[in-house]
Amino acid sequence: MSLGRFLVRRTLQGLLVVWGVITVVFVLRFLSPGDPVTFVAPLDASPELRQRIAADLGLNKPMHVQYADYLAGLLQGDMGYSYQRGLPANDIVLSRVPATVELAVASSIVAIVLSIPLGVVAATRRHSPADYGATLFSLVGISTPNFWLGIMLVLFLSVQLDLFPTSQRPVGFLEAWTHLIRFKLAGPSLSVPLDAGAFADDMGTWLWHITLPAVTLGTYFTALITRLTRSGMLDELGKEYVTAARAKGLPETLVRYRHALRNTLIPILTVLGLQLGTLIGGAVITEAVFAWPGLGSLLIDAINSRDWPIIQAALIVIGVSFVVINVAVDVVYGYLNPQVGYE
Amino acid sequence: MVSDRTWRNLTVELKRSHLAKLGVVLILFILLAATFAPLLAPHDPKQTNPGEANLPPLGFSETRTESTTVMEDGEITIVEEQVQVNAQMEHPLGTDHVGRDVLSRALFGARTSLIVGIGGTALAAMFGVIVGLVSGFYGGRIDDGLMRIADIMLAFPSLVLAIALTGLWGQQSESIPDPFHELGLAPDMPAEIVIPSTIIAVVALVNWVWFARVARGEALSVRNEEYVKAARSVGASDLEILWRHVLPNSLTPILVLGTIQVAAIILLESSLSFLGFSGANLSWGLDIAQGRDYLSSSWWIATVPGAAIVIAVVGINLVGDWLRDALDPGIDQGEGGV
Repeated sequence: MSLGRFLVRRTLQGLLVVWGVITVVFVLRFLSPGDPVTFVAPLDASPELRQRIAADLGLNKPMHVQYADYLAGLLQGDMGYSYQRGLPANDIVLSRVPATVELAVASSIVAIVLSIPLGVVAATRRHSPADYGATLFSLVGISTPNFWLGIMLVLFLSVQLDLFPTSQRPVGFLEAWTHLIRFKLAGPSLSVPLDAGAFADDMGTWLWHITLPAVTLGTYFTALITRLTRSGMLDELGKEYVTAARAKGLPETLVRYRHALRNTLIPILTVLGLQLGTLIGGAVITEAVFAWPGLGSLLIDAINSRDWPIIQAALIVIGVSFVVINVAVDVVYGYLNPQVGYE
Repeated sequence: MVSDRTWRNLTVELKRSHLAKLGVVLILFILLAATFAPLLAPHDPKQTNPGEANLPPLGFSETRTESTTVMEDGEITIVEEQVQVNAQMEHPLGTDHVGRDVLSRALFGARTSLIVGIGGTALAAMFGVIVGLVSGFYGGRIDDGLMRIADIMLAFPSLVLAIALTGLWGQQSESIPDPFHELGLAPDMPAEIVIPSTIIAVVALVNWVWFARVARGEALSVRNEEYVKAARSVGASDLEILWRHVLPNSLTPILVLGTIQVAAIILLESSLSFLGFSGANLSWGLDIAQGRDYLSSSWWIATVPGAAIVIAVVGINLVGDWLRDALDPGIDQGEGGV
């Protein structure tokens, strides 16, 4: 199948799944106990006021009408207004996306940069102290709940040694760049003069604050990929083509990295695709630990206050991005593994 | 049910691998702690004692600065004094902010983790295996429909779904009487074991898909085997074939997946109770959440239950590796995680 047809088919499948997610998220409100009005109305609200609030929020209509309204709104990019803050759910949710993306990308970088060399070293120097160290690290790493790891990092590196802040994100990655590049998106800062010093300050602050959350979220993946790289490399290095490559005098580095490692990456990518949900779920927990202002902490706050438009919008954004990333992983997978191709 | 060859593979691998032995020891340790918690715990895990709050673990006696606010003639003064706080033999791992014994809470917390881990896995496996076997065995439209549903389930991050469901559906729990208390062996301990039923249902709901996939694959692969055709030709019903021939052949990968899932679900449960979405009042995740507010003064409150989680999950993962290496069921590493 060609890449084009593959993309069209996967996109259609993806849309079907997105519709499923949207519907499930909508139905969730009706399956959950508690009347949303109770969370919006003042405690001493009269029945008339309650009815008016229900009418205002469109909650007094039959379910199928609400569903139709809801879908129609979504098509126009309208996800309703937050019960708590009265602002469009859209704006609130989208304003939280950059923090979560920063965290996910930073932790993936941590994971990839640390794990693949670690796994390769462990596999090429079997039974060395480095191998045992990597094996132990990966075992403990996949077995440690990330929220506890985060708390322990705070305990040692923030509370005891005072090296990193315990929480918060005073400045965003893109905000820091507005000191250096003029973004159309960034609006107000267009009048601010470019300032390399302020950029360096903000980037430093950003890095300083994201280090612990990124390590917290990245450790599980570092451990998992180290493990996969080690066992995959051991498998590959034992195969005949490696012996043949060595026999014809290919330098060992080339044998290891061009051949063995490359073939190891394919199964790693498969597993990572399966584990993407863990990354997104882990981000929710990590954000809760570090008061990181992303989608996850927003979702948890919204769940606790039953702010339904926010709950629905956050879940839909998470679900849709998950579907998109999965399609992207499939495309990369087909590219890396021509035998599988775009099926 | 288990063939001689399977046993031999298991024992050979166990003898060969020190990590497998360690895993078995750790699991036994946690199982014993959970089962005999009322006999092993030095104190009632729920008994508060403000007079003995924030006691450090053995070996960590410390001098603390305690400030008290004194109000005299309308003036508020803060008096700071140095107090020596000694660890007590009675509380080997210290006490928390309201004076509950940290060791006792860790022992009882093992019960919640194992009840949710094993109960949730069993429920997910039952449902997933039935769906998977039916789907793979019959194929066609049934298969398409069921696998579409599975795709939608997999298309949503399960941890996020679990957070939303437990957060929104509340945290019901059932209580059963504790046998040790009933028999009068542990009169000072809680009389009931709390089973967080909502969490068990939710973890099963978000994890059955893994079992369905594996069972479906197995059913597909044996559907056209000669012995299945033979069984059919002598008039065996579909149910009989599924039960007597297809299921036994699928047991090995399901067992290995189940082991990995128990570890994944224990981690999931601890995350949910950390967020406050738990029906249990004795849970490692819950204690970590409470201890988090006292990190700068009493680090042990959050540290001990976390270490307990790591011990339990490392043990189960090692046993999972052992089973996978010995039985070679064709499950990838990393598959079946939460």
